[in-house]
Amino acid sequence: MAAADTPSASLRHHDLCSRGIRLARKMRSDVTDLLDIYVERQGLDASISVAAVEGVPAAAAERWAEQTGTQRLLDNLAAYRAFRVLLAQMLEEQREQLGDADSELGPALAAVLLQVSAFAYHLEELLELESRRVPAEEGSEPPAPPRLSLFEQKLRGLGVLRELAQWAVRSVRDLRQLAKHGPGSSAALGLAESQ
Amino acid sequence: SHIQYERVGADVTMKCGSMDWDAAVTWMANGTDIDDSHLNGSYLILKNVDLTQSGQYSCYEGSSWHLKYQTTLRVGGCWKKLDVKERGKEVVPPKEPVLMCRSNNYPKGFYCSWHLPSPTYIPNIFNISVIHGTREMVCEKDVFPKNRCHIRYLQLFSTVKYKVTLTVTNALGKNSTSLTFDEFAIVKPDPPESVVAKPVPNNPRRLEVSWQNPSSWPDPESFPLKFFLRYRPLILDQWQHVELSDGTSHTITDAYAGKEYIIQVAAKDNDIGTWSDWSVAVHATPWTEEPKHLTTEVQITDPVSGLLAETGMIDGKKTAGRGLNGAVWLISRAVA
Repeated sequence: MAAADTPSASLRHHDLCSRGIRLARKMRSDVTDLLDIYVERQGLDASISVAAVEGVPAAAAERWAEQTGTQRLLDNLAAYRAFRVLLAQMLEEQREQLGDADSELGPALAAVLLQVSAFAYHLEELLELESRRVPAEEGSEPPAPPRLSLFEQKLRGLGVLRELAQWAVRSVRDLRQLAKHGPGSSAALGLAESQ
Repeated sequence: SHIQYERVGADVTMKCGSMDWDAAVTWMANGTDIDDSHLNGSYLILKNVDLTQSGQYSCYEGSSWHLKYQTTLRVGGCWKKLDVKERGKEVVPPKEPVLMCRSNNYPKGFYCSWHLPSPTYIPNIFNISVIHGTREMVCEKDVFPKNRCHIRYLQLFSTVKYKVTLTVTNALGKNSTSLTFDEFAIVKPDPPESVVAKPVPNNPRRLEVSWQNPSSWPDPESFPLKFFLRYRPLILDQWQHVELSDGTSHTITDAYAGKEYIIQVAAKDNDIGTWSDWSVAVHATPWTEEPKHLTTEVQITDPVSGLLAETGMIDGKKTAGRGLNGAVWLISRAVA
């Protein structure tokens, strides 16, 4: 593990950030497409408001500009780990509900799940580069999904995907901030501009 | 002449000038006698006046018929001192206002601006409220322009929508309108600034275009913009388009030689929102080769004798001519 202040670490840091940004942007694009498919397949109205969903990490951040690099990575990692679990649950529910009748939603969900996993792994690499301990995932068993009616499940799914789309945009911004400040910048304050 | 204003529904008492209460008088309205029932002594009493009772009122002394008092009564509603421009215009309650909100300085905040679709001719008060989920936000009014206020983002990347409600009130009524939107949806930068287009020396089909990020965009490094360039020769209607994901310059390589071009640029955040309006248009013409000045050295030969008659320099392509002395000359040697 290279120390955070060597030239090769800098290069790797920059490289990881750039690739991370590309991953996040692709993920966002695919989640947007997935949202269209989901809304259509589940018979929902695209304009409905969904209240904050329990267990879904909110992308909204106060004082976002003031976060340190490490904080950004930790927040992102926690979010995408949670999404990995949630999407796996959604995939399971979708298989139960629609089964073989659906040839579009299942594969789209699976593809996004894959990208979310890949991105979480990518974040772990960045954290390691920052010489930070990568936090272990809480528990080996994911928490049981809440007992919900079919309709509530659909709304919850919508909430999950919308929040994920928001996170994908935020991750692009977070990684740019990270790239701007270089590796080992966790001690230094992020952009100190007043919001 | 005397004019008396009274409101519709009022009770009006008119005195006959300086005449005593018990003097014998005759009142007339617009030349018609007024019945005694409206009199209280020499005073004229009009109860609950309406608009039809406007007109000229005159009071004459009983036997001599001297005019003792005259006034013009104007019965009306609310009076407003009218500007010359507004005469004949009806004062009205406000129509539904027009409201728009936009963020041209993401991620700092956004502004909302409004106006009435048609004038009311009386003062209007505007009240704006901004709600984000359960939180009420303050929209700080701008000094200039007047009908505008701005809000700082307290949260970024929120999925909760913003709801902005504008209420307009005047003496005759009120009206309102609302907008609901996502944080990302209203992001629209200002157009790029300082667009410059220059020809490229020795390249007849190229034009070098450069521009700058709009100055209102606070952090182009962290929130980079992408750009859209469009260009066409003045003589054609069809635009060529180029989308550029980074950089603030571009070289056009397929310009028609010698034709004047019109060029514009627009900007958009790399990930969210909509395209800006087009920038101010710039004009440029690609580089063209200067036509060479042909200078020809001539030796003038007398065509009869073949002897050298004169030498001189002649511009252009003339190869024969008649000299001032009448002799015809031919160019026998030319050096460019």
